[in-house]
Amino acid sequence: MTVVLKQLYQRFNQLRGRRIFIVPTRFGFAYVVFLILILLGAINYSNSLGHVLCFLLGSLGLVAMLHTYRNLAKIELKQAHAKAVFYGQDINFKLIFDNPSSHDNYQIEVSSKQNTHRSWNPFKMFKGYDNPQMINQLKPQQTTQINYLLPAQQRGLYALGRVRIASVFPLGLYSTWSYFKNNVTALVYPKPEGSLPLPNTTQQGKNFTSKHIKGLDDFSGFNRYRTGDPIHAIAWKSVAKDNVLRTKQFTSPQGGHLMLEWQAVAQIKSLEERLSQLCIWILQAEASEITYGLRLPNSVINFGHGEIHRHRCLAALALYE
Amino acid sequence: MLGLTLGALPHFSFQPLWVSIIFLAMIGWRYMNSWRGWPLPTKRFSKLKLLQLSIAASTFVFLLMSYGNLIGRDAGVALLTVMLALKVTEIRSHRDYYLSCFLGYFLVVTNFFYSQSIATAALMFIVVTIMTGCLISLNVPEQSLNSRSKFKLASQMLLQAIPLMILLFIFFPRIAGPLWGLPNDAYSAKTGIDDSMTLGKISQLIASDEVAFRVKFADKMPKQSNLYWRGPILWQTDGVTWTELEEQLQTSQDPTLTHSGPEYHYTTTLEAHNNKWLFALDFPTAAPTVIKSHFTQDGQLRSDETINQRLQYELTSTPQFTFNIDDEPYLQQALQLPDKHHIRTKQLAKQWLKQTQDPLQLVQIALNHFNQRNFYYTLTPPPLAGDSIDSFLFESQRGFCEHYAASFTILMRAAGVPTRIVTGYQGGEINPIDQFLVIRQRDAHAWTEVWIKGQGWLRVDPTAAVSKERIEQGMSTIMPLSMRSPLFISNSQRLAELWQKMRNNLDAIDNKWNQWILAYGPKLQKEFLSKLGMPSPNWQTMALWLSISISITLLTISVILFYHRQHSSPIIKLYTKFCNKAAQRGFKRENYEGPLDFGQRLKQYYPQQSDEIDQITQLYINLHYGKQSASIDELRRTIKQFRFKKS
Repeated sequence: MTVVLKQLYQRFNQLRGRRIFIVPTRFGFAYVVFLILILLGAINYSNSLGHVLCFLLGSLGLVAMLHTYRNLAKIELKQAHAKAVFYGQDINFKLIFDNPSSHDNYQIEVSSKQNTHRSWNPFKMFKGYDNPQMINQLKPQQTTQINYLLPAQQRGLYALGRVRIASVFPLGLYSTWSYFKNNVTALVYPKPEGSLPLPNTTQQGKNFTSKHIKGLDDFSGFNRYRTGDPIHAIAWKSVAKDNVLRTKQFTSPQGGHLMLEWQAVAQIKSLEERLSQLCIWILQAEASEITYGLRLPNSVINFGHGEIHRHRCLAALALYE
Repeated sequence: MLGLTLGALPHFSFQPLWVSIIFLAMIGWRYMNSWRGWPLPTKRFSKLKLLQLSIAASTFVFLLMSYGNLIGRDAGVALLTVMLALKVTEIRSHRDYYLSCFLGYFLVVTNFFYSQSIATAALMFIVVTIMTGCLISLNVPEQSLNSRSKFKLASQMLLQAIPLMILLFIFFPRIAGPLWGLPNDAYSAKTGIDDSMTLGKISQLIASDEVAFRVKFADKMPKQSNLYWRGPILWQTDGVTWTELEEQLQTSQDPTLTHSGPEYHYTTTLEAHNNKWLFALDFPTAAPTVIKSHFTQDGQLRSDETINQRLQYELTSTPQFTFNIDDEPYLQQALQLPDKHHIRTKQLAKQWLKQTQDPLQLVQIALNHFNQRNFYYTLTPPPLAGDSIDSFLFESQRGFCEHYAASFTILMRAAGVPTRIVTGYQGGEINPIDQFLVIRQRDAHAWTEVWIKGQGWLRVDPTAAVSKERIEQGMSTIMPLSMRSPLFISNSQRLAELWQKMRNNLDAIDNKWNQWILAYGPKLQKEFLSKLGMPSPNWQTMALWLSISISITLLTISVILFYHRQHSSPIIKLYTKFCNKAAQRGFKRENYEGPLDFGQRLKQYYPQQSDEIDQITQLYINLHYGKQSASIDELRRTIKQFRFKKS
């Protein structure tokens, strides 16, 4: 018996779909007060048309309830995804809403709340939804993608949280809302900032195939002096040691190998700032087409280059605990 | 804004001109703001703010001056109108906007204090639609829904609300008002018969087309010439004005009445006239039961309360009756004459007294005098100079009922015959559409009664001596057509007749409206619900019926609202049936899945049925995507026969 009832209940719940809340707004309450005033006036003056108007407006209020409910009833959040961003930028969650019904839905407010843990106060459940954004229209039997912007205020995996859709359409007398649970997250990289210059490329690594182009920018090592080398390039300090003339070699960093070491930023005190420094280095390295790797205390990412590699490195920074 | 203006429109006719002007000016101001960007009274434009405040303040002062208060009906409505208009000029927030809309609804109600006609109701619907549209536009920006669709939505919602409204109207338990004391001017002044008569007064009524009351006879109807509807009875005169018996003179002794002859049963629907008398056909056998009422000493039916709303009562009358045969307590009053008035009239009566002492013969002499001398019945008598009775009898000799009744009474009293004037209505017009006898203000009449010992009060209508048609055929026959229809069509007989016909129809509708919609109060509700089959209509059962019927209607509306209509071809419907069969097995066709892909997926799980699945898919594709070589019947048959077998 109980099993049958349980099944029936589940079936019913499936039919009912999401839970949709609806309560009168403060204007709705004001409307009721006005109606009561009209009714009292009509009774006092025994005014038949006064009754008619009061009843008409009352029925309008009831019908408005159905319309407001209908405005949210069938909407589904089909998909949500977002690209990774840097700390401080806006995460653009692309939410795809589906309106399978045969009528338009208007003026739907989307908001979300990260912190979804239960509180002792059940009413807390309804509060704390911010970053409201208005969808003007959802066309019938279509999906609509909206860009829901959330400021990235935390490094790491940033959850979209519980999405709330709400509407007061059409008369503003009722407010109806509903929630979508999801576990959509966006990755937030550290903020790319820092004052340290990019370290020099080294010859470490497996292959030495990259070209060495003589340049003036970065120090890359010593060579024996050969006639014709510029005098200012002679490393005079080493002459004092062993009486061998060497010249300092400078190369442009193009195509060099660079391991971005955790140690290199050890002088920066705050963890976030260290990560930020590494982050901007990664961006700089990527921009100057260096083959680079990343060594963090808990992980190593080998040399590489390109969009995917960059993401791997940045993700490692983002998720660093 | 348009809604507000429309809502306020009917008020313009009742309100002082300046209220309407302020209202229109304020609305115009707001309009210019949204159209041309005129500044509105805000903190930035402090002078304008000052102007607005001074308008508000002066409105208070003026209203106090012209009405003496601010909470009476007229003053209250005027105040509401002006304040609403001022509010419109300073709408800034959402809240202001809502408030104005709600006040706009309220303004509509105030209309009903003045008029409850069908036209007002229609106007109400229009105003409410516009207001609702305004509320919608408050919640939806223009780019997602244009104004036309907003008003379409508003009227759609109102249409859905109407069935609910009707149910509420029928079943909502009605409470008899008033709940608290009404302001003095709660009921506006009405035209109608007065409790005093000054020559020339009734002629104002005669120009009025308003309905005084309507009568429905149960079976038969007396002759037109017997349709005397008794109103206030006038005894005392100061030479100019006639008034009723003073209250303190009246005793609680009932008049002695005997009834004989045929009885007539009828229902009267009396329009509100803000007085206490109930008009009844001479002479009712008993007071009506629906309202506390009594007969006065002079035989007038009076309610205990002022009649300030439409009232329906049933009566039985017998045209043959006797009234105080043997003893009349107010003989003195019936012989009272003002001392220094009507000298020539009194002399004429003295001459007659020399001929005979018999009161009946004196009456006859007077009637003959009216009949044979040069007296005319006219609705537009010349103005009377000096002593009105003397100058009428001896100079102008042109007048209508009240002239004849008054001068006859003076003549009789001077000759020593006790006489009194009865005012009321005479005749009426049958509306051929609904067979109601309609008595209009223009049927107002004044006649006389003389008291003769042994016979009681006898009705004498001196007007009949001059104009028989007035009494026998009713007012409408002697009234020239030009007075009965608007000027522009009165020239053509046919147009005037058409007008009359149209008016009859309208009047019949109006009557139904009055009888059923406007009169629907606690009493009629009980009657109606008993007819519907509710055994004992108290408020509990009403509430039960109301909630049940409201729920059913709401359910119906929501089914209409939520029903997912699919305008699909029979081919798609058939294929959907097939998909549903699959869905029952747990294979729901996804939105992105084409029929071929879906078929492939099904075949993986039901390999032994792959032929049938292929066939259905192929038929569907051929039918739906153009190749009409396949027959729809085949698809129908195959899908019908198709069963998923357990694999």
